[in-house]
Amino acid sequence: MNIRQATPEDLMSMQNSNLLNLPENYQMKYYLYHALSWPQLSYVAEDHKGRIVGYVLAKMEEEPTDVPHGHITSLAVLRTYRRLGLAEKLMTQSQKQMVEVFGAHYCSLHVRKTNRAALSLYKDTLTFNVDGIEKKYYADGEDAYAMRKNLIDTKKVVPRGVVEEINTAVAH
Amino acid sequence: MNAKRELPAKENAIFKNILRNYEHKQYKKGLKLADTILKKFPEHGETLAMKGLFLNNLEKKEEGYEFVKKGLRYDLTSHICWHVFGLLYRSDKNYEEAAKCYTHALKYNKNDMQILRDFALLQTQMRHYDALIETRTQMLQQKPTNPPFWVGLAIAYQLVGKYDLAIQTLEAHESALREMPVNFEHSELLMYHNRLLEEKGDIQAALEHLNTIEPKVCDKRALKEKRAQFLLKLNRSEEAEKAYRQLISENPDSYAYIRGLIAVKGFDSGMKEDLSLHDLTAEQQSTMLGIFDDIQKDYPRSNAARNLPLNYAKGENFRNRADVYMQTALRKGVPSLFVDIKRLYTNAEKERIVEELVTGYAKSLEENGHFNEDGTQAIEPPTAYLWTLYFLAQHYDKQRKTDLALQTIDKAIEHTPTLVELYMTKGRILKHGGKIEAAARVMNEARELDLQDRFINSKSAKYYIRDDKIAEAEKILGLFTRPDAASPLQDLTDMQCMWFALEEGDSYQRQGKLGKALKRYHTVDKFFADYFDDQFDFHTYCLRKTTLRSYIDSLQFEDNLKSSAYYIRAANGAVKAYMTLADIPKTANGMDEANMTEAEKKKARNKARKAELKAQKDKENKPPKKEQVKEEAAPKKADVKKPTDEDPDGEKYLKTQDPLASALEWIHPLEQLAPKVIDTHLLGFEVYLRKGSLLLALKALVNSHKIDKNNGQVAKNVTRFKEAVKAHPPTNEDVKAVIESQLATIS
Repeated sequence: MNIRQATPEDLMSMQNSNLLNLPENYQMKYYLYHALSWPQLSYVAEDHKGRIVGYVLAKMEEEPTDVPHGHITSLAVLRTYRRLGLAEKLMTQSQKQMVEVFGAHYCSLHVRKTNRAALSLYKDTLTFNVDGIEKKYYADGEDAYAMRKNLIDTKKVVPRGVVEEINTAVAH
Repeated sequence: MNAKRELPAKENAIFKNILRNYEHKQYKKGLKLADTILKKFPEHGETLAMKGLFLNNLEKKEEGYEFVKKGLRYDLTSHICWHVFGLLYRSDKNYEEAAKCYTHALKYNKNDMQILRDFALLQTQMRHYDALIETRTQMLQQKPTNPPFWVGLAIAYQLVGKYDLAIQTLEAHESALREMPVNFEHSELLMYHNRLLEEKGDIQAALEHLNTIEPKVCDKRALKEKRAQFLLKLNRSEEAEKAYRQLISENPDSYAYIRGLIAVKGFDSGMKEDLSLHDLTAEQQSTMLGIFDDIQKDYPRSNAARNLPLNYAKGENFRNRADVYMQTALRKGVPSLFVDIKRLYTNAEKERIVEELVTGYAKSLEENGHFNEDGTQAIEPPTAYLWTLYFLAQHYDKQRKTDLALQTIDKAIEHTPTLVELYMTKGRILKHGGKIEAAARVMNEARELDLQDRFINSKSAKYYIRDDKIAEAEKILGLFTRPDAASPLQDLTDMQCMWFALEEGDSYQRQGKLGKALKRYHTVDKFFADYFDDQFDFHTYCLRKTTLRSYIDSLQFEDNLKSSAYYIRAANGAVKAYMTLADIPKTANGMDEANMTEAEKKKARNKARKAELKAQKDKENKPPKKEQVKEEAAPKKADVKKPTDEDPDGEKYLKTQDPLASALEWIHPLEQLAPKVIDTHLLGFEVYLRKGSLLLALKALVNSHKIDKNNGQVAKNVTRFKEAVKAHPPTNEDVKAVIESQLATIS
């Protein structure tokens, strides 16, 4: 299974996998918005024929009141491609990029309160913590767990500017 | 200047406010102000036009057009009136007419920035790149301090392949940004600059450029990927190897990185999938496998490093690798193992080895709980046996040994009657054996085992559709569609669900309900039209955000949309339906009654009579051409507002006067975008032959023959073509000669 960054060409397949797998669906323009705002954050898993069997669609939240952080809009792996660790691999790549490209401090996501399978994936495999409950987050009135995962070692937070200056000094 | 355009100072101030209202989207407020001017000056063209614009934005499109046109009549030389007219067309997605209006508007005010800006967006959308360069140049000259204008011009140059000018433009822009702090937007701009150098073909310069921009680039991964590619192209093997090993450490599951490393090691076709088909010498094979083994040692969780060597290994080496690989997966219960392995069956020896291994596992696991007779390892978990049976069932199914496949999967189900995957596979085996009804029943059993999972829900619905049980399917799908949608169908259509529209289209076609079938295929076509329109806002957005590499990729993606397999499938369905319509002899009233019951015939005849009466009336007060365009575009927006479908059965498609022309509308995009797909030419042949366009039919025939001369349909088409020529021999000698010489190349 090949894990690589998503390109605009993948969006149709991603939309199709999303509709096959998940109850939360989006029109193409929303996928395009992700791909053209944070192209580094969305990844796909494809089989040897180039068929998309899993994806993570992710974005940055840039609210002035909070530190920059990533957000997982949607994560899906086709049922027939489970137990290969694809969800974890997709998430690992996306989160690395959140930190490296956008200086994200943490990553957040929402999960349906009744979706035990997803909850256990995020909690146990992907080491997210439940951060709170958002009442009636979903269109059908269901509550969501707001989850998050710290992406930086809080002990050595180096503001990006400083790092870049050092790099510049080395390069010259 | 039109004397009537001048307003007294007071009204002039109000008019300026009106323009501001539009900018701030205060449409109701603007409408009120417009009315205060019109009370005193009912013939003020620009105010009338603005009123029309507000109305249009307040969902009163008809009135909107009326007022804009009235405004234009009073003031034909006003750039505002023409601009507004263009905006109305643009909101209707009638880009051609909008462009004409903008051209008029610029005639009367060639430097209006707002018009230029709108025109540039339109030219991008319509891919009028040469004209776009002119517009962008003019914008930049007027406002050189606006960064997006520089970027916009560079892009325009790139899109026509003028890389030097694109690079010059960017360099001029960057020189003003020397002191920029490190940030995402600037980083993206620099990486875009690098891409221009690469596309120009100057790899050495591109590599050097990468080194200079490195400190300011946030997208480190892309930078490393580009560096590795460039080093590889420049044959700097040692550095390239280091670069690819670094990349593999960051993502050991990337095929591109691993193939890059293989290419560095001198395997030219390392980038191609079918390397396994080439004969490697024993030495090459061992070098290649050594590379994979190294990666695997360093990154034991890399699936790619374990999986890809199976393509290249042979004989005993293959047997040993496949043995380890499959045992691990079966122990873990990886459901996709068979789909993964079956690609190797193009090699008969590998297929035999896999079969020997897995039948061996099944026997041994059943007898003593081990994968192998020797039993040196610990006892395997009971699920190992289960997944082995699951694998074998799929293996037999692939060989079309349906009974054996069914026996095997039943054995697995007996072992564990609660595993969804087993029933899914049973369903698939039944489907392959032609037992659609039973397949759908089993797939529904699978669904009932896990009601929370939408994947199995979708599969179950798909199987019901295959069995032409649309009502059941839609009911099941409704368990996951939005409860506030009018129906599951409506939600799936709103959400642009391709698989569903295609499956239902094919089902209705099988049932002979051609109207509904065409309705679904045209729904897919509408998805594609919407996808294409989706990009419009990004022509502005991306220039500001500077995500230009992705933006350029997205333009290419949009250009090639209709080469997608989804479109090709819809085109196949639609053309087939239109051919059926074309072939059915028409009754005197032009109705197609072949598939109708008596009651349906009566109903249809009534409908036809009414339609005829209406057509008569329409003819009597036929609107001018422009209005017609407008009317056709009108239902689009109405769709969004009220979801009730006025033609759920697709009657309007059945009424097409010229099914062949309707079919060609599907085929033309394919001829442009998918000339290497055989379907394109097979479909083209059907239409051209029926139209009697012998030369076009011949061209399609020759093209399809070039792609796959062994295709059964191609052979039939050759015969059909010869018969058609015999029945209506061409009178022109040149045509005759061309046909003879071309036919000689393919028979």
